[in-house]
Amino acid sequence: MSTDYRLRSAADRFSWVTSAWRWLVPGTTVLLLVVLTTAPIILPWPVLPALGFVAVFVWTTFQPGLMPPWLAFVLGLAADALTGAPFGVSATLYALTALFVRLFERRFGHHRFGFDWVVLGLLSLAYALVGQQLLVLAGVEAPLTPLLVQAAATALSYPFVVLICGRVQRRLLR
Amino acid sequence: MDWSPPSLNSPRRREQNFALIGAVLSGAVIAFGLLLLLVARVNPEAGSRIREAALDAVAPIWSVVRAPFDGGAALSNDAGDYLGAVAKLRAVTAERDAGRRAVERARALAAENRQLKALMRVVEPRVRLVATARIAGASSGGTIRSAIISAGRAQGVRPGQPVRVAAGLVGRTLDAGDGATRVLLLTDAASRVPVIVERTGQPALAVGNGGPLLEIRDRVGAEVPLRPGDRLVTSGDGGVYGPGIPVATIVRAAEPPQARPAASPQGLGYVSVETPYLPIPAAPPAAAPATAAAPPK
Repeated sequence: MSTDYRLRSAADRFSWVTSAWRWLVPGTTVLLLVVLTTAPIILPWPVLPALGFVAVFVWTTFQPGLMPPWLAFVLGLAADALTGAPFGVSATLYALTALFVRLFERRFGHHRFGFDWVVLGLLSLAYALVGQQLLVLAGVEAPLTPLLVQAAATALSYPFVVLICGRVQRRLLR
Repeated sequence: MDWSPPSLNSPRRREQNFALIGAVLSGAVIAFGLLLLLVARVNPEAGSRIREAALDAVAPIWSVVRAPFDGGAALSNDAGDYLGAVAKLRAVTAERDAGRRAVERARALAAENRQLKALMRVVEPRVRLVATARIAGASSGGTIRSAIISAGRAQGVRPGQPVRVAAGLVGRTLDAGDGATRVLLLTDAASRVPVIVERTGQPALAVGNGGPLLEIRDRVGAEVPLRPGDRLVTSGDGGVYGPGIPVATIVRAAEPPQARPAASPQGLGYVSVETPYLPIPAAPPAAAPATAAAPPK
């Protein structure tokens, strides 16, 4: 990096530094989607999808370089703070998601929308099951039924999140 | 020699190094996450400052976003009131007549109660209204069922205070930020409310399970069956919720009995926060005699 930096002209350096805001785009999208799930809508069943998790998944498939597991972890900490869950639940789950998608795509390559949707469906089921174990580890009683209801809603929210992240990528990251 | 050892700075080597660093970093953050969960297990209060700050950041957004919707709802309510005024007046008149009779009976009972309490020298804790606030957020996720209200420490709200509406109990405060507070709803799996069954007088616990209904557990005298329609009110045990607040109505009497919350969390507008019925003393009295009852928990 330092050699690159030394070889640049002043104008290039300036544009290089100012273009760093691109790194913030995926994280900001995830954060905004998490804030969206704190809307003052109280429903009898937890049918509000875990949009932050889906957004981490989508960004890891779109821009693996801009959504490393450590960033997913930091975003998960913010999600925990916003939703009032014990610190570390979403953080661990987001980091595991980013890591899984990375390894999966390295091994099996990039896929079409339908296939990714199926993978996300299975992942959201795993998200519920692993999430329950993490909550038990944190000493919180966690019945499985609400988590599974939320997993179904999460799987259904995939096209919506792809729409948003795709639009953001076209506008800001190209 | 046409083969040379790979240089430390070759692009391939560099890529491998980056991959290694990435893998180590990923493992480290996941291990750190599990460590945080253990910290939360040992000390559930850990990080509550950060959660409170997050509440203060998020609640104003929704207060602004929901304002036009509230205006629209108020307008349509007004229109509905205007159109249904006659039918409503008749219903309210009938209700008032029934209510008057109930009030007469209640007055006699209250007078009798007062006399009996004076006779027994009963000391009644006073419950004070702390704040009335609007719902300004919620988390309807699978992990926690909570609402955010737009009043906080600046208004005197503290963690562990009961939250109610006229129809019944809503929950209790969890994290109190400066201008926003998280309320644990009755339907959260961590919520436990000591109740009594109004008809039979049996004490029990109303426990949330993340769904729309509450489960009734640990009922004293389980051989006496419950009936659908039995009302559950707070018993005042535990010191957070004062006695007599409606909590739920039994909808399924088969074991384990299930009850629907009296205050439906779906249509909440304003809620009021009250002081705890018997607040936990900040420090146990120094010279407490050894025979004293265990402090309220």
